[in-house]
Amino acid sequence: MAKAAQIVSADVQTVPPAGTGDRPARSPVVAYLIAHPHLVLVAVLIILILVTSVVEPNYLSVTGLRNSALFAAPIGVLAAAQTILMLTGGIDLSAAMIATGAAYVAANQSPEGAVIAIGGGLLVGVLAGAANGVGVGVFRVNPLIMTLAMSGILLGLFTTWAQTIFSGSTRMGDFVRTLGGGSFFGGRIPWAVVVWAVLSLGVIYMLRYSGFGRNLYALGDNPQAARLSGTRSWQVLIVVYTIAGLLGAIAGLLLGGRVGAVDLQLANVFLLPSVAAAVIGGTSIFGGVGTYSGTILGALILGVLQSLLTFLGSGQATQQILYGSIVIGLSWLYTRIAAEQ
Amino acid sequence: MSAISGALVMRAQSPVRRWLRRHGWTYAVWILLLVLVAYYATLIPRFGGFQVASIVNNGTPFVFLAVAQAVIVIAGGIDLGVGSMAILTSVTAAQLMEGQPFAVTLLIAAGLVLAAAAINAGVGWIINKSRVPDIVITLGSLYVFQGMALAVLPNPGGGTSEGFRYLFTGSTRGIGANPWPAIALISVTVLALAWWLGKTRSGLSLYAVGSAKTPAYLSGIRASRVKVLSYAVGGGFAAMAGLALTAIAGRGNATSFGGNLTLNSVAAIVLGGVALTGGIGSVIAVIPAGLILFFLSPILTAMGVDPNRAQVVQGVLIVVVMAITGLIEWRRQRRS
Repeated sequence: MAKAAQIVSADVQTVPPAGTGDRPARSPVVAYLIAHPHLVLVAVLIILILVTSVVEPNYLSVTGLRNSALFAAPIGVLAAAQTILMLTGGIDLSAAMIATGAAYVAANQSPEGAVIAIGGGLLVGVLAGAANGVGVGVFRVNPLIMTLAMSGILLGLFTTWAQTIFSGSTRMGDFVRTLGGGSFFGGRIPWAVVVWAVLSLGVIYMLRYSGFGRNLYALGDNPQAARLSGTRSWQVLIVVYTIAGLLGAIAGLLLGGRVGAVDLQLANVFLLPSVAAAVIGGTSIFGGVGTYSGTILGALILGVLQSLLTFLGSGQATQQILYGSIVIGLSWLYTRIAAEQ
Repeated sequence: MSAISGALVMRAQSPVRRWLRRHGWTYAVWILLLVLVAYYATLIPRFGGFQVASIVNNGTPFVFLAVAQAVIVIAGGIDLGVGSMAILTSVTAAQLMEGQPFAVTLLIAAGLVLAAAAINAGVGWIINKSRVPDIVITLGSLYVFQGMALAVLPNPGGGTSEGFRYLFTGSTRGIGANPWPAIALISVTVLALAWWLGKTRSGLSLYAVGSAKTPAYLSGIRASRVKVLSYAVGGGFAAMAGLALTAIAGRGNATSFGGNLTLNSVAAIVLGGVALTGGIGSVIAVIPAGLILFFLSPILTAMGVDPNRAQVVQGVLIVVVMAITGLIEWRRQRRS
């Protein structure tokens, strides 16, 4: 293994990270970037924005950037759920289905008023998240399997309920529509971005400054050590999965509000992008390493990329190939930088 | 972690216990499948060759995909891209095979299996080279393959030869009462795979690397080669799943999402007793597990349960199975 590590690090020295110019490796600039990997993401983001504005000059305007932000917001919130779970070594494959379910309930209860609609939606997230937490924390079910199964369970339940207790309107109420798709300040700033910003502050505060946040890192870094130093891992896991469920539900409300009408496929396409945003942002899927600020950059990169692909008029096929390549390429680059640290 | 400590502190056990520990799960899953089939037979008015054929034939793609996933997971990886690899193979086959005679379709099929193995070996190589976790790289390959499939066949279509459909479904029209070709195909390929994994040096190295990578490396196994090998074999079996899809439908469809197939394959290997941590499991047990997962929805329909509930039951079943295995493992650790 040691030999392999040497070979890889030797490669890194000869290949400067993309976006830093043709400077020789180990120059002060490269060293600085290696110490601050987020700057690479910022560089990638700026380059993407510039490329997009070359393709479509109108993109560098309030409307253009707003559209990217609107696309990025639900992904960013869903990716917050993935980030806090990935820090503990988990993942939430049911996040998209939780989001869909929450949006469905909210749309269905819209005639009852905004409070009940939103409350009902969030309740879906809390219940499903708590169930995930009990499965993972108490019964030690592998998170991948637990949340995958939860996704199937929710899909089955909601497909049945759509014809029984939740039959009727699938149109989202006006309040949630404004929240998901509306803007203020003369149509410049979307409400969804405000919601995302507030949640981001909360998540960043939780991870950086709260004891609970430190528990998440500890648990993902070394579960044994965390247990021996007094962390009750099952309690932490139940809480973090519940929070993740709640975040998933909020993402669903934003998405449902933007689309307007809800169906049971609503958030499906956002599941893997939410994982990708966290991965691009440098959160390790094995736990213990990562920040939410990185994930935010990841979500923004995906949002700009979406705009770029739309402007290029590329079909589904090209979009997906490019999308997959970027996930592979950026995570590769990022791992090399992290290995240099 | 647990696998290592479990192996080191293994105590002297009675032969019966040891046999149960080694093979109990495999037999349990097969018995569960038989019990379910017997139960199904009492539920529906007419149970015969047609029903058996329907289960076996339509379950074939799921079995192959689960086996593909199992090989990769045993060697310590996980491949989210197997589902879209199957779809890519399926649409490419449908595109190339349309209007061709049987012999040509067979050659195309063989070529596609080899090509899929080579491409997936490339995925394994990227994982080695980049040192990015398997799950992330294959998340990327999931998208890349899906996009390639859409590029090959934007709209559902294409075709294949009648002989080729017979090879996978026992019927030239894709529906019939003859399960034997599918059974033969699965038995030959999976038994060969099981023999390779269990009896040969290169096959056993998959288990070695999957259960403990560094000790395997230190004892002279080239861990990176083993990873590439496992991805290549997995890619080949994913291609078999894709060919089965084409043979059943008689055409290709790139608009269905490969991710769902992947998730199904992960659920199947878990039910089949393959540990997601690597190094533990048998491909023989994965065959009934794949069939059971496919088979649950007809059973529940026959029981008069809403088919949508089948999905709920399937999810709960998987969680319960995992919780039980988790508790068994926990007790074992506590005792040792």
